[in-house]
Amino acid sequence: MAASSGKQRWAGAVKQVTKSNFAAALQQLRTDVDSADFVAISCRKTGDSVASSRRHPWHRVLPIDTPEVAYLKARLSAESYEILQFAVCPFRLRGYKVLAYPYNFHLFPRDEINLVVPSYSFSCQTSFLTSMAQEGFDFNACIYDGISYLSRVQESMVKERNLIPQIQPVSSCSSLSVADSIFMSRIRSRVVHWWNVCKESSNTIDGWFSRDLIKSLQKLISGTELYGSRPSMSISVCSDRQVQLALQTVSHIHDDIVPLVVPDKSGGPKAVRIVLTNSEADKNLLMTEIQNIENEQNLRVRGFREVIDVISSSNKPVIGYNCLHDFTFIHSKFIAPLPPTLFEFMCSLRLVFTNILDINHLSKEIGPLRKAKNLPAALSFLKGQFFVPIDIELPPKAEENSNKAIHGNNVLQITYLFAALSALLKRNPDGQLPQGQNIMPIEDYSNIFYPLCTSLQEPDDELNYLVEHAKKSSTDNLVFLWGFSHLISSKELKRELQQIHEVFTEDFELQLMDKTCAAVVFSRSGLAEALLKEMESAKFCSDALSMKTSGLRAAGYDAYRKVCMSGLWEADLADSLENIMSGSTNSLSASSEKDSSEVYRRSESTIDLSDL
Amino acid sequence: MRNLPLFGARSQTLILWLIPGLRRFSSAASGGGGAGVAVKKVTRSKFEPALEDLRALVRDADFVAIDLEMTGVTSAPWRDSFEFDRSDVRYLKLKDSAEKFAVVQFGVCPFRWEPSRGSFVAHPHNFYVFPRKELPVHGPSYEFLCQTTSIDFLAKYQFDFNACIREGISYLSRAQEAEALKYLSSKYLDGLANSFCNLEEHVDIPLVRTADLFFSERMKTKFQEWRDAILKGSDKGCADKENADSNEMQFQTVFFKMRPAVFLNGFSTHQLNLIQLVVRKYFKDLVYICVVDEDNSWQRRLVYVETEEDKASFMKEVQQDLIRVEKRVESAVGFRQVVDLLASDGKLIVGHNCLLDLAHIYSKFFGPLPSSMMEFILAVHEKFPYIIDTKHLLNSSQVIQFLMKRSSKSLSSAFSLLCPKVSSVYQNSTSSTYVRFEIQADETGSSCFNSGAKHEAGYDAFMTGCVFAQACSHLGIKFEVHTPLCDLARNGKIKNYINVLYPSWNSGTVLHLNTGTESLESGYKRKYPAVIFANIVLIWGFPSKFKPKDLKDCICRVFGPDSITSIFFIDTTAALIQFSKEEFVNEILVLKDTLERVNDPISMLHPLSKLLEGGNTRAANYDTYRDICAASASKVLFADQADSLGIRWKTKLGTGSQETKEASCNETTTDITSLVEHSSEVRADSIRQFKHQISYGDILDSLNVSKSLLGKGMTST
Repeated sequence: MAASSGKQRWAGAVKQVTKSNFAAALQQLRTDVDSADFVAISCRKTGDSVASSRRHPWHRVLPIDTPEVAYLKARLSAESYEILQFAVCPFRLRGYKVLAYPYNFHLFPRDEINLVVPSYSFSCQTSFLTSMAQEGFDFNACIYDGISYLSRVQESMVKERNLIPQIQPVSSCSSLSVADSIFMSRIRSRVVHWWNVCKESSNTIDGWFSRDLIKSLQKLISGTELYGSRPSMSISVCSDRQVQLALQTVSHIHDDIVPLVVPDKSGGPKAVRIVLTNSEADKNLLMTEIQNIENEQNLRVRGFREVIDVISSSNKPVIGYNCLHDFTFIHSKFIAPLPPTLFEFMCSLRLVFTNILDINHLSKEIGPLRKAKNLPAALSFLKGQFFVPIDIELPPKAEENSNKAIHGNNVLQITYLFAALSALLKRNPDGQLPQGQNIMPIEDYSNIFYPLCTSLQEPDDELNYLVEHAKKSSTDNLVFLWGFSHLISSKELKRELQQIHEVFTEDFELQLMDKTCAAVVFSRSGLAEALLKEMESAKFCSDALSMKTSGLRAAGYDAYRKVCMSGLWEADLADSLENIMSGSTNSLSASSEKDSSEVYRRSESTIDLSDL
Repeated sequence: MRNLPLFGARSQTLILWLIPGLRRFSSAASGGGGAGVAVKKVTRSKFEPALEDLRALVRDADFVAIDLEMTGVTSAPWRDSFEFDRSDVRYLKLKDSAEKFAVVQFGVCPFRWEPSRGSFVAHPHNFYVFPRKELPVHGPSYEFLCQTTSIDFLAKYQFDFNACIREGISYLSRAQEAEALKYLSSKYLDGLANSFCNLEEHVDIPLVRTADLFFSERMKTKFQEWRDAILKGSDKGCADKENADSNEMQFQTVFFKMRPAVFLNGFSTHQLNLIQLVVRKYFKDLVYICVVDEDNSWQRRLVYVETEEDKASFMKEVQQDLIRVEKRVESAVGFRQVVDLLASDGKLIVGHNCLLDLAHIYSKFFGPLPSSMMEFILAVHEKFPYIIDTKHLLNSSQVIQFLMKRSSKSLSSAFSLLCPKVSSVYQNSTSSTYVRFEIQADETGSSCFNSGAKHEAGYDAFMTGCVFAQACSHLGIKFEVHTPLCDLARNGKIKNYINVLYPSWNSGTVLHLNTGTESLESGYKRKYPAVIFANIVLIWGFPSKFKPKDLKDCICRVFGPDSITSIFFIDTTAALIQFSKEEFVNEILVLKDTLERVNDPISMLHPLSKLLEGGNTRAANYDTYRDICAASASKVLFADQADSLGIRWKTKLGTGSQETKEASCNETTTDITSLVEHSSEVRADSIRQFKHQISYGDILDSLNVSKSLLGKGMTST
């Protein structure tokens, strides 16, 4: 097949990056990203919400999930699993020709700086590890030599605990109290004295005092220390305000003094260290020295996140497949903890990546492609249906034959798929590409995610296509039922329900969410509401037939949404629904109030019921 | 004198000396590090023969030492074991750890006293274990947690993750095995029954929807075409035609059990049901079956059978497959066979600080862990009647305490102190106080033997066994005299140490396996006075800047300077406060509740209101702490953990202090909903929302800060 031959062709094309060659690869990547039109990304994780475990089958993103709920589930998995490989491919698109520069970074969340662990623990799904192992992935290399990282938020936390002295901008304090002026004048006199001593001692020729003795005396008397080879002195401070005052005072004394702020272990300022320089040139030299130390420290602290920052600051459109999943991971590992709603997530993501293109969304334009459940299926479909002579040109391999690794080839598949799709989408009716146009009107597609979901049933099925007869249904037509016997099959439950109540004599679909709870979708609207109303009233309970399924409970979609929003993941769905219901009955008014204030778009309540 | 290990062609005994060239881990191995001990490395491919060898070795062994390496120990920082943990809380933490983390290495080392040589012969085995999915059934064990620091720790000691993930031996617990068998056979028989019986019976296809009708008709035509094509012997034309017709339903003729068949791929369960009905109704010569294929996924096929007899014989062949599947379940049992072997004939099992190991063994290889410590230890005792914990042995024997000079009780330091002859090269005397150990390597050797290293399960098991044997000798057991040693487990000299476990470093208690009880350890010196759990209040969600001192000030201003016995910070978001009097517990809860209800200026000025700033401070008694520990979630921060349980109240008023007193140590209810029942009607949802927005605003701020920092970095480079 074409796809497999592609795999062969691409073997060893992706540059594999670990801790040892990270610094060099980062430099190279910077220039590659600068000259690229797009950046494709793809990551390999230790598990995800498309294939969650059997323990809580309802954690998977399902056809009945609204985008909001799908986000919450993606958030859960982004918080549980870890990224082990992150492939980045900056590429240029010239008609049918693609110039690609693929990289594959191996990550491991090691605590590199002994301050913050990027993640305390993470889950692994054995199937994910096994499939990586089958590709010959080297876990030892990944764990021993993987690149660590810190998210932006973690970094700013570390910054506070950073023990490296730093230059701080001077901001003038507005009003000075008496204590302030006393503090300032005392510092002033100390610094001036010190400055004079330093200048004098450099001028005096060695007398009958030995130089060393002078130095030690100086140290005793004026507190002179050495910063590198330059004389320096520490001024103790105990608050940020005092830091500002000290900086202000020092800046007025002489130009050749460079003040640095030394933080203590808890992040607060400990001292201001002033360093004496010889000349303007020497001062500049010191500044670059300090800057270099800071850069080095930053690379150590940020680790792989530098790559994210490079992509982010380039403002190039980022291409991904199943973006909702990948970017929840990226956001939670490299940017900040995930916000509670999809809307906030999208806003926050926009600050970092202005332009994201989801291939899932793009391929919606080409009807049948959206049925493809994974990347290879989409590729082979595309190759079977259309003639798109995409030619990917790769950089020459550094070492021939030595490295046939195929890790990170996904990113090349994404690149290929994107090139083909963009060619298809902008192709004129006569089959010709419009000339001289490199960037297509992608704005129409950017920043819209189309979540991939799996069907509820038969996780055993390795289906490659979602089934055709997609039908739209409103969340209003959905009811969750629980309280039936755990051992019941969906067929039996359906049969029993048909005897219980007249609404079940009409057409409905039923799927077990897990062994405790079932989702029922009515095809006629209004039935769900009627059922819920009647369940609430006592009438239903007295019904003779309901004795069979005593304790049958029902809830609408809102309860399910609330379960996901309040993060009651660690239980069977029935228990979580019960928990939510018991809470909301106590103060019904409060909950309805909340609903009205919620941004509740009508379109969002329409879900894709492709296969229930 | 230094002997290099020789791997002779025939079974050969090696005497241990340290080989300098093999000391890869010299930096890590302070004291008894990795000596040149030949540890047998067992992976998937070599498992069967190794198991057979081990059977004989265990049968002849006097005792078997074990040790496990896991992917982690605590799933969240607050799940560490604390002095403030009541024994039921400690068990919940143990249970959580054993349920969440995976075992990646299992060391087994049978020891046998060889009178003719006057030494123990040990056979250290190092099994790589990985919960690989070998059967098309799902289970919670196919997902496990890794603690980053533990993985890093393993990496530091050169753990081979590739061997573990690619070549690790998988396993099923007894419960899983039974479930898998039931599931697989029912699935097989279902498919069979469907196509086997009711042939004469009239089948009705309940077609509610037009789509179903169309689908059934289309399938009928397709099957007809396919069958006709087979009968005509020109299957090619048909396939092409299908290809043109629709893409996702290509019928390619394959052969199944020597009969033409097609795969039914890409259908939903509903459609498959319809297909089954169509087949039963219209096609007597087609059979629908569902079987497990080689890569452990379900395959649905439609098979053509010529006659009724052919159909019957086909069914028989499929049924034979079921036996094959049962075989597969049997082989999927995998590593559990080793555990079954250890449990089978009541051997003396020796481990070092092995309570967690036993919990892992129980949950991975027997079944779900029981809900209380008592049930758990009795269940363990039933499986393993004789267990020695060398940690307890070292701690409680005066003789050994004297020898150890009260140094660290870690396994490696005990090993280097008690067995210097094994662990180092310069102790070369033939003094009789040291027990001699030999390691046997068999002929298949060299390739699968590694030199042992500290924190490798096989080597650790070996060290544990050596420490035990040496300790026995110090306790006065003369191995030379007692030959044969068959009844080491019933020897009076170690009787007091058998089946007594050491629950954790700071509990001051020991567990008695045969009675299921916990008792105070003799000679334990408490650092703090004994904790009175009824006097404890749990507070969480207070302002993050609150330090222990602030908390103490705040509360002492209300209840007086002597009101607090101790404060323990679980993490930065939660604390346990022990009051000097029990009634303070209720008082503070009531006070807090009232302060939160009335929102007047006077209550704002109350000293306690400082603690309530932010509106997220929750408080409850000790039982709530237990309930939160019982929940299966594991958020990094304690406050988030409590949040994830859906706790909506702010203060849980105790229903009288009586109840708290009665709460017995062994009782653990894991009923989360009970937390919610006592809701004090304060809707915290809106507040929580608010809290999120605040924290989210902070996050955005810090983003902007780092963005500007980033910009700075960019310009300067």
